[in-house]
Amino acid sequence: MNYRFIVRPNLCTGCRTCELACSFTHSIDNIRGITRIYPLDGGFKDLWVPVTCLQCEDPACIKSCLVDALRLNPETGAIELNQDICVHCMACVAACPFGCSIFDKQHDIIVKCDLCGGDPACAHFCPTKALEWKPIEVKKKKVAI
Amino acid sequence: MHLDNPQQLIDWHDKIIAKQKKIKKKILVCCGPGCLANGAQDIIDKFKTVLKEKKISGFTVEALKETGCHGFCEQGPLVVMEPKGLYYTKVKVKDVEDIIEQSIKNDKIIDRLLYNDPQTDKKIERYQDIKFYSHQKKVVLNNLGNINQCNIEDYIANDGYQALSKVITSMSPQKVIDTITKSGLRGRGGAGFPTGRKWATCRKVESDTHYVICNGDEGDPGAFMDRALMEGDPFSVLEGMTIAAFAVGAKQGYIYVREEYPLAVVNLQKAIEIANEKGLLGDNILGTDFSFNIKISRGAGAFVCGESSALMKSVAGEVGEPRAKYVRSVVKGLYDRPTVLNNVETFANVPIIIRKGASWYQKIGTPKNSGTKAFSLVGKVRNTGLIEVAMGTTLREIIYDIGGGIIDDRPFKAVQTGGPSGGCLPASKLDLPVDFDSLNEAGSMMGSGGMIVMDDLTCMVDVAKYFLGFLVNESCGKCVPCREGLYQLHALTVKVSEGKAEEADLEKMEKLSEMVIIGSLCGLGKSGPNPLLSTIKYFRDEYMAHIRDKRCPAGVCRALITYKITDACTGCMACIAPCPTNAITGKKNEMHVIDQELCTKCGACFAVCRYDAILVS
Amino acid sequence: MVNLTINGRIVQAKEGEMLLTVLRREKIDVPALCHHEAVEPFGACRLCTVEITKEDWNGYSNYVTSCLYPVEEGLIVSTHSPKVNELRKTILDLFLARHPNSPEIRQLAADYGVFKTSYETVVDGNNCILCAICTRICDTMGFHAISTVGRGHGKEVAPPLHQVPPDCVGCLACALNCPTHYIEYTFDNNYLTIWDKKFELMVCSRCGKKTITKEFAEYLSKHRDIPFSYFEICDECHRKELAATMGQITSWEREA
Repeated sequence: MNYRFIVRPNLCTGCRTCELACSFTHSIDNIRGITRIYPLDGGFKDLWVPVTCLQCEDPACIKSCLVDALRLNPETGAIELNQDICVHCMACVAACPFGCSIFDKQHDIIVKCDLCGGDPACAHFCPTKALEWKPIEVKKKKVAI
Repeated sequence: MHLDNPQQLIDWHDKIIAKQKKIKKKILVCCGPGCLANGAQDIIDKFKTVLKEKKISGFTVEALKETGCHGFCEQGPLVVMEPKGLYYTKVKVKDVEDIIEQSIKNDKIIDRLLYNDPQTDKKIERYQDIKFYSHQKKVVLNNLGNINQCNIEDYIANDGYQALSKVITSMSPQKVIDTITKSGLRGRGGAGFPTGRKWATCRKVESDTHYVICNGDEGDPGAFMDRALMEGDPFSVLEGMTIAAFAVGAKQGYIYVREEYPLAVVNLQKAIEIANEKGLLGDNILGTDFSFNIKISRGAGAFVCGESSALMKSVAGEVGEPRAKYVRSVVKGLYDRPTVLNNVETFANVPIIIRKGASWYQKIGTPKNSGTKAFSLVGKVRNTGLIEVAMGTTLREIIYDIGGGIIDDRPFKAVQTGGPSGGCLPASKLDLPVDFDSLNEAGSMMGSGGMIVMDDLTCMVDVAKYFLGFLVNESCGKCVPCREGLYQLHALTVKVSEGKAEEADLEKMEKLSEMVIIGSLCGLGKSGPNPLLSTIKYFRDEYMAHIRDKRCPAGVCRALITYKITDACTGCMACIAPCPTNAITGKKNEMHVIDQELCTKCGACFAVCRYDAILVS
Repeated sequence: MVNLTINGRIVQAKEGEMLLTVLRREKIDVPALCHHEAVEPFGACRLCTVEITKEDWNGYSNYVTSCLYPVEEGLIVSTHSPKVNELRKTILDLFLARHPNSPEIRQLAADYGVFKTSYETVVDGNNCILCAICTRICDTMGFHAISTVGRGHGKEVAPPLHQVPPDCVGCLACALNCPTHYIEYTFDNNYLTIWDKKFELMVCSRCGKKTITKEFAEYLSKHRDIPFSYFEICDECHRKELAATMGQITSWEREA
């Protein structure tokens, strides 16, 4: 079954639980990682937009990576960054038009949303279902005869 | 003329033979590197002009041949007159007219140009009677002193390209490999890997293309066998490579030659062009479907590029660094394709084996080491030069019979074989048969065939220091045990030679050597400590003399010796001028004195003293 | 799948995998200084050497660098046999002689019980251990700006002819991945200097934050088909922009 990460800004209260969940989930040696999701001010009253990687179909981050450290995980649909391969050139950070490749100062590495390997913690903890990890039924297209 | 079928080659061969039969007398002038350095080119030019001026009936410029290395470099420039084999040594330009006047016109022998046997003090007319030649077995080098360097007609007249024709017309690739396997030919580059097995493995690997590479990057100090072959008999190398290509299914070959061999590059290039033109190389060789091209790749003089994987990187245009050969280059070599890489001499052996048969070849040498091996015999022997002996010939035969013993009849101390990867063998090993396995067992190796003879005035610590110093500079610098380990080993030998070492250092050297051997990436590092280990093994006393007694028995290590003038001094003043630091003082007919403060121990005085009045201690 | 025995334990590995990959996965601590996943294995530092044997080798064993050795069925590996440990100690000892001031080397050597080199200290030693990670990364990324130069003990890492490297774009990958932090670079206002080449940095047109060098951005947009405008603002401002866009859309939805 296919899952999809769904963001509904109109349900977001800006509680930033997702940030906490993300940060804790991505701890290394018990030191919290930087969050990959940012509930940001949407520019209107009571409007928050959780900004995170959109896992683009034609991703600038993959195109910019000269050592092939970023690859699509076909199971989760996430573009994952292999930390062993990454050479920290910051190309993806600069290239992403949504700013979703992030430099983690704490650990001196570059990070991006990996959908937690197929079970995003942020969606788990979102109290208002503004973030959801939802199965989708793939409808077969009708073929014109 | 382009040869379109094998029959045309046979016709051409017959035509050349008929033509050459008309030439009754031949003058062969050796144009090997040694003779060229001594003015062989001027001698050729002189012969040509004189022959043009004086028209001699039945003798034209065609009978004058610029051959490859004849072997006896010590006595060069050499001029040989066939068919008698009359042999003139140390010929000078001014002797040319005499040779033509007397020896060609009138069949007279010029006494002063003959070789003088130092043992019997008799003049010898024919080279076949000289011990240097009579103890050799010439197989691969046979063409070298006999044919024009880059003349395909000469090569074909000497049965050249018959092997290729035979292979293409009547043999399957598998049969070629079987023949080579049966002959027992082992790689002449040094390691002695069975050539047939190498080819068979390569053939089995499936790939879009295979490569054949000839390794002509002869880097061992004092070795020049491959150079002589590439310069003097390039067609045999090309033919051997073409047969190898047929056997493994290659279409492209490379010859890797070091840039320091300019003549080899020129001659090989010329030979490739001629062979292409004649249809013996290139597309549709001899009118068949088989095509094979050869390119020359010039090395920039890195010793490590003689190592097969570094060589392949260099051919591909990368930095010449070896790679780990857990996946061998016959499977994944040049451009990651299966590649057969053999030494020049190995390829030169191939046509002979095909032509004369595996069982003929097998009979030469010893059972597991068939065939012959070319050596460059250098150092403190009387007869230095290029030699070829059957495998299994003892070191004693090579050094005393062919080499004529040690200069000035000094005692023999050691012989170094295998270049910087080999070792030094002492007098007790003189009766060791020279073959791959025996040399390995004794702690040395065959190498590509350099053989350096040393007398009692050679310090073994100094020898080890020299070779390690060479390797410190010539290591590719990629892996740590080789780059840093050899550096430290060299530093330790320097310490020994300066008398600053302790007994524990000797042990430390042996330990570090072991680690360098197991830890290094390629053959260079894995065999790098050999010169050190073999000298420690066989000449431990000498190391101990340096360490314990602070004394260099051979009188070589500068820090441990003093030059003194003894009573034998006649006061001739010959030593005063050569002294670079003016350390020697004295009046005519009075004994001279060396100021030890000023003396730099260069040995210049020792070299000029005719009265043996200078004592090294 | 192949089965091999590592330090007495049976381990499964994929065919074609290198031994070091398996060792790392099994959390067996084998040191390596020249290994980087972004580039092909090299085998220069020799620290990852292990002893291998097989049942039918009649007691013969071999020493191989695990980073380059493909796994084989029935391989028996010992990663810390006495000889292997001795070799690692010797290598670290040799390293210490050449790089006595490198904290990384000193730490690693201390882990193997080497605190002071037993060899002669190399006079002009520096902290470059010639692992060639920098040059290999540079080659893999497609710049070929630096290379190892010379051979033997005097080998070094340098740009061509020791001149300012024309092909360098200032991505800093060489310096950031140097295991001994030997490659120097400086930031000075809006400029980055590395290999004696001065690069102008891209500055975010909104917040003024400095990002990658202009050359690098130009290279990526030219060779990797990424619009140059992407590089004109920083990641944070990109995110804010996205939030504003999404916010606008959501507000329309609300109105509707």
